[in-house]
Amino acid sequence: MNKIGLFCLFAFCVCLTFRSSGQVKALSSADAEMVKKSIAEAAKSTVSLESAFIQTKELSVIKEQIVSKGTFYLKKNRLLRWEYTYPFAYLIIYNNDRIYVKDEDKENHISLQSNKVFREVNNILVGAVQGTLLQDTKNFQCSIFDQHDQFRALLIPVNEKLRGSISEITLFFSKSDYTVGTLVMREASGDYTRIEFMSKKINQNIPDEKFAIP
Amino acid sequence: MRSLRYLSAILLFVAVSCSPVKKSTLTEVKHDDKALEWESPFSKDFDKAMFKASLDVRGKHLSGIALIKKTSDTSFHFSFANEIGMTYFDLELWKDSYRCDYVFGPLNKKAFLNILQHDFRILLFTGSFCGNPSHYKDPVTLDNIYFYSASSLFAYFNKENGKLTRLAGWSNLLDAVLIGLEYTQGPFPSGINIMNPRIGMLLDLNLLGR
Repeated sequence: MNKIGLFCLFAFCVCLTFRSSGQVKALSSADAEMVKKSIAEAAKSTVSLESAFIQTKELSVIKEQIVSKGTFYLKKNRLLRWEYTYPFAYLIIYNNDRIYVKDEDKENHISLQSNKVFREVNNILVGAVQGTLLQDTKNFQCSIFDQHDQFRALLIPVNEKLRGSISEITLFFSKSDYTVGTLVMREASGDYTRIEFMSKKINQNIPDEKFAIP
Repeated sequence: MRSLRYLSAILLFVAVSCSPVKKSTLTEVKHDDKALEWESPFSKDFDKAMFKASLDVRGKHLSGIALIKKTSDTSFHFSFANEIGMTYFDLELWKDSYRCDYVFGPLNKKAFLNILQHDFRILLFTGSFCGNPSHYKDPVTLDNIYFYSASSLFAYFNKENGKLTRLAGWSNLLDAVLIGLEYTQGPFPSGINIMNPRIGMLLDLNLLGR
């Protein structure tokens, strides 16, 4: 085989590899239900979750990114600590119906019942990380795709009010443990926020003090 | 027609009587050899700056990250999103106009956006090219103050380092705007606060990086 022939064969193999690794397949409704069930079971058996995260906000119009980092703690039932360490310290604790926000030296107490925006954000965050958003047929239309070593769940808000701020949410679940690895929230503005969870610790003891509201 | 004249007179009276800076409290410099030449810190080689931001307006508090980016020789983009990443608003600003690319529902109030965009245009597009100023001095700090009557704008400069420290003008006929600039290092402000006393708006920007 001459050099040109070898090059063509190599190029063909490279194309084939890229094609198969990026292949996305929509699951049939029966298969999608199976995946949803597995995710729900994994969520049910998750009592606590601790994870580092990197959040990247993409500003679509000006093509700029804002990167934030921190640690996320979740404990059943309805306890959430969302702690940013970069580019500045910012803490949100959701403890049942109460919210505590600490922005450097400023502290703020908010009632989840009285603040609709916080309530929606809380429902999305907890629901996304626990995978329960997939069962929320009242608010989201859900499609599941098989994508390489992950399942991708695409959630389109049904609720018109929610659709005014969020156009879609995409969740990537690991095929090995059915936990969320990446969350992408696309806004009506075209901007999107990607949150990647890493170094996940499932069902390890997280002291209740982490969620205590001063 | 007559009532329109009365209304104009009343508005003019309100505007004059509520000037953001009372000239009578300043010392006029009568024989000024040469007026200071200056430009907004966002002119020349400015590219972009990211700020930790908080906005208080009518009892509501919003916080997050803001980005100001120069998008062309004549335009800037201002984006403000909360910590979780959801955009509050996204404005494109030119010297004489603006466009709102996105605004979060509850903030979508025309009067509020008009004031905000006007404040930003004062911050981003001012300089000694605004006209021939009258020169004053602050009697306490001895800082130099230039008043540009054509745009009703006061510009304050530190007497020692000559840095722009304050802008005071009008967001609209009834609401004054006071813009404070702080410097910890270098020629670019590390902190900017924009205040509109009448609508109770305070926007604080603390530099995170450029």
